[in-house]
Formats: sequence, structure tokens, C-alpha cells
Amino acid sequence: MSRMHSASKVAALIACCAAAASVMGCTTPNVHSSQIRGIAYVKLDDVVKHDPLYSQLANIDDAIAMVELVGASPRIPRSAAEIARESAQLRSEIASAQARTQHIIRQKQQAYAARTQAAVTAALTAAGVKNAANVAAAMGITSSQQQQQAELQAGRDLMAYRAGVVQQSNAAAENVVRQLQAEAAQRLQAKAQAEQQAESNLALRLSQQDASQRLAIQTRLSMLALGQSERRQLQAQLSQMQQRENALLNAQRAADQREYAAYRAQVMAQTNAAIHAQLANLQTQTQAKLVGRRNAVIQQLRGGVPPMPAASISPATRAQITHIADQFQQQYSHDVQDVIAQYEQTYAALEAQYATLHGADAAASSAAAQEVALLQQRRQTLYDQIVNHIRGEAERLAKAKGLDVVFSGVTAAAGGYNMTNELITDIESEHE
Amino acid sequence: MKKHLIPIIMAAAALVPACAPASTATDLTDLGYVDQSAFASLPMFNSARQQLASFQSSLNGQYNAAIRGAHTASDRQRIYNDFQNRYANEQRVLFGPLFERVNLAIASVASTRKLSVVVDKRIIIYGGQDVTKDVVRLLQSNQTILPLGTAPPPSPIGYVDPSAFQNSPQAKAANDQMNTFVQQQQRIYGAQLAHAKTDAQKQQIAAAYNKAIADEQAKVLKPVVDHEQDVAASIARRRGLLLIIDHADILYGATDITADVQNALSK
Repeated sequence: MSRMHSASKVAALIACCAAAASVMGCTTPNVHSSQIRGIAYVKLDDVVKHDPLYSQLANIDDAIAMVELVGASPRIPRSAAEIARESAQLRSEIASAQARTQHIIRQKQQAYAARTQAAVTAALTAAGVKNAANVAAAMGITSSQQQQQAELQAGRDLMAYRAGVVQQSNAAAENVVRQLQAEAAQRLQAKAQAEQQAESNLALRLSQQDASQRLAIQTRLSMLALGQSERRQLQAQLSQMQQRENALLNAQRAADQREYAAYRAQVMAQTNAAIHAQLANLQTQTQAKLVGRRNAVIQQLRGGVPPMPAASISPATRAQITHIADQFQQQYSHDVQDVIAQYEQTYAALEAQYATLHGADAAASSAAAQEVALLQQRRQTLYDQIVNHIRGEAERLAKAKGLDVVFSGVTAAAGGYNMTNELITDIESEHE
Repeated sequence: MKKHLIPIIMAAAALVPACAPASTATDLTDLGYVDQSAFASLPMFNSARQQLASFQSSLNGQYNAAIRGAHTASDRQRIYNDFQNRYANEQRVLFGPLFERVNLAIASVASTRKLSVVVDKRIIIYGGQDVTKDVVRLLQSNQTILPLGTAPPPSPIGYVDPSAFQNSPQAKAANDQMNTFVQQQQRIYGAQLAHAKTDAQKQQIAAAYNKAIADEQAKVLKPVVDHEQDVAASIARRRGLLLIIDHADILYGATDITADVQNALSK
């Protein structure tokens, strides 16, 4: 009887083992079956969310959203259409300033030609020249036509020269700004990556440091025969452990953020100073070129074409006429110089408005784009780090299960072995 | 006594199927992968890139001149489209034959190595055969690579082109709804951000914005994608396939089920 009893006990024990093995068999299916064929897959995006470094990835996503939201915020007053409208308005004002200047110069030429002709007529009459008005008119027509042509050409040359120099200067300035900004971005990126790496290392170190203690507590917590107060105590220990890790990580992150902000401010200040210095240098060079050219033009106008005294006129009268012409020419040149200076002033003011209109928005969007690019690079580095970690775990798991191949990017699955949940448990157990 | 042994034998027998794997089908061991980034540094691609860059630079000058003469928005759009087409055409002319040679090289290596499927490296986490070096070697040789006369052997892998489903009424409606939502949220959270005073407040707003977008994606886009995946999985089952992957990741072999999925979705 007792023998029979013990035999039943053995049978029951083996049956239990068999049942347990069957249950295990259900949770770990035959990976070589026709429905799996040694193929497994992992939903990588789901696993990434359980990695200890995921909170850092989420922080970077928030930072990217912040920059993009600033760009999309209603604080920026001008739309692309508004900028285009205002630009067109400014361009039209620049064109009218140019036309106005040419008109004034032409009027002045005519006025001075008339005054010169009147003075020459008077001088010729006084010298007893017959038909003085006709002779003076003939001389005046010749000189005023020549003068007018010379001045118009000089004015056109000056404006074309100015436009060319300004264009060159703007292109050079753009290059300077682009180069200096790229250098600054590189320095900032290097700093951000170093900090990122330090934070990642700390997060991993902390989670690994407490892993065994945490596992021990969790094992005890999973025991059913645990008193309520003891359970609470263990849970409090777990919570303290997590808080301590979070506090250390947050402290490191805050210190890094402060350091980065200070470094960024320093780099930006240095970059801005360098940009301003180089732009000021360029502006001085441009200004010097423009002033030089303007003076040459004025000199050219000043030494313009005097009225041509007729050969029959006495040398004294001829000298007098030349003197009159010189006097009016000097007055005219002085007048023209003022008009050109006034035009340049207007042109410079309008051009500055134009540059501000474009520059402010371009600078804002370029800075935001740079910031986003920098953050995305940081994100990619961190994401790669997380994925490499997951890959390592997946490889270990795949080998243990005797799988042949594991995919990460699967659109749909009609079979194969889904390793996602096991991998999540694995990743979590590393830091829990 | 013998009677008592019956449950023991039965229990022991029960252990057998749980422990021994039953090999009812052949495992997928003839899968290869290629690291496509290795091709980017090959001289043939470098030279094509340089030619394209020089074409682009000459095109830029012409474009700037043409756009200066445009008076209306439609003129500008027409000019822009025209230059885009010219650029894309040149790109096709320069890179088309190179991609063709790459495809032939992959197929040739796959055939030599007796592989049924070759995929992009980035979707493989474990296993498979790396055939990148073989393909690079073949590409760099002066050898003419002829197309294979035979089709790739069958495999349990299928593929779809997800862009083919983007024009379905459901997908379009979901995308439009999502775009409108994103624009609304950008205005709302952008305004909030403008009034935020501390970095912590700003971070909270950005996190709330990201959450709102993610929640809406789960509500609006996910059901559409899930439905597409279910349809693809059911077609895969019918055609004896196990996994379906994106067509962009397939370099050789596998079964295209895009049209089947498209038909099923349009019903």
C-alpha cells in the first residue's frame, strides 16, 4: 500500500514536471516550425522606449519641438508674402531715388548751361562781338551737349560701379557669416556630444550599479509570504533607489545644461564679435572704393567740357569766357556732389532696411535650422547608441533560442517569432 | 505494479515533444544582406556626384537669371518646376546606369552564393550572410555583368511598397486630418511658448505638444496603418509568406504583394 502510494507520488511528480515542461513549451515555441522557420523579428520602436537612455531621447525630442514651435509662434510678424511685398516696395523706392537723382542732375545741367550762356553772351556783347547771343548759343549748345553726355555717362558709371561693389561686398559678407557660423556650430556640436556621452555613461553606470540590489528586492517582493510592512519597506527602498538615480542624473543634466548655455553664449559672443569685425572691415573697404570712385567722377565733372570760344574772339575775351565757364562749372560740380551725396544717403538707408528685412528673418530661420540640425545630430547619436545596445541583447537572445535570423524593420507578420516583448523584459531587467 | 508504471511512462512521454524541436520546415538560412552605404565611396559614384554638382552649379546660374525675369507667381512656379525636372533628369541619366549595375551585381552575387533573398543591412539585427564585399569587388571590376536568366528561388519573405497605399481615401483623409491638427497645435503651443518665462515651463510646453501629437497619431494614423498591416498579413498567410518588409529594403528576391494589398484595401 505504501509502495503503491509512493509510486503514485513519483508519477504525480513526473506528471507535474511534464505539465511544467509543456507550459514552457507553449511560451517558448519551436522556432524551427513551419510557422517560424528560424525567423524572428523585433519592433524596434517599441523596445527603444524601454531603454534606460530613452528619457534622454525624449528630452531631445522636446528640445527640437521647442525650437520648431518658436519658429512657428505668432511672434514673428512677417509672412513670406509680407516680406516679398515690403521688399518690392523698397526696391521701387530705391529705383525712384535713382531716377529722381538723374532728373535733378539733368535739371541742374540745363540751368547751369542757361546761366553760363547768359554770362558768356553778356561778356561777348561787352567785347563788341556781333550776334553775341547766337555765338554764345552755338558755343553753349556744343558744350552743354558734351557736358550733358559726359555727366550722364559719369552718373551711370558711378551707379553701376556702386551696384557692383555693393553686390560683391554683400556676397563676401554672406561668406564670412556662413563660415563663422559653421565654425561655431561645429564647436557647439562637439561640446553637446561630449556632454551627451557623459550623461549616457552616467545613466548606464547608475542603472547597472543598483541592478543586483534592485533585482534582490524585486525577487523578495515577488514572494507571496511577505508581510505588508516589509513589502512597503521594500517598495520604499526601490523608490528611494530610483529617486537617487534620477536626482544624480538630473543634477548632471542641469550642470551640463548650464555649462552648455555658458559655452554657447561664449561661442556666440565670439562669433558675433568676429562677424562684426570682419563685416566692419569689409564695409570700410567698400566705402573707400565708393568714395574713391565718387571723387573721381566729381573730378571728371569738375574738369568737364568748357564752352568752346570761337577762334575769331580776342584772347582777352576768350580768357574771360573760359573763366566764366570754370566758375559755373565749379558751382555745378559742388551742387552735383550734394545731390549725389544725398542720393547715396537715401540709397544706403533703403538698402539697410532691405538688408534688415531679409537678414533678420534669414538669420532667425538660419539659427533655428542650425539648432534643430544640431539637436537632430545629438538625437541620432543617442538613438544609435540605444539601438546598438538593443542589438547586442537581441543577438544574445536569438542565439539562446537557436534562431537563424532576426529582422528589425517588418511591415507585417504572418508568422515568424516576435521577440519584442522578451527583449523589452530583458532590457528592463538590466536596470530594474 | 505495472499499472502504476503507466502514469510514469505517460508523463515521460509527455516530456518528449516539449523538449525535442520538430523540424517540420527548412529554416531560412539562404538570406544575405548588403551595406549600401559602402557603395557611396566607390569612384563611379563619386564621379557621378561631381558631375551632378557641376551641372547643378551651372543650372543655378540659369535659374537665377530666369527667375529674375519672372513677373508672376505662376511664372516662377513654372520656371521652378522646369529646372527641377531638368535636375531630376540629369540625376537619372548619371545615376540610373550605376544603380542598374549595382542591382545586377547583387543578383549575380546572390546567385553565386545561392541566396533566395538579399536585404539592406539596416533591417538585420542578427544572422544572414554579409555579401557587401563580394558586391563591391564585382562593381569595381571591369567585368560586364549580365542579367540572370533565372528568377530568384522562392522564400518566405514578401514585400510591399507602402507609398502605393498613401493615395487611398482612408490614408489621405487621415493624413489631412493629422496635418490640420499639427498646424493647430503649433499655433496653440507656439503662443504658449511665447509667454513662458522659465526653461522648465518651456520644456513642459514642448513635452505637452509632443504628447498631443503622439496621441493624435495613435488616434488618427495608427488605425489606418494597423488595417494595412492586417490586410498585408492576411495576404501573406494566403501566399505562404511569413514576413512582409518594405520594398526599399529588398535588394534581391522576395515576393511583391503590393498589388494584392492595394486591391484588398480598395474593396
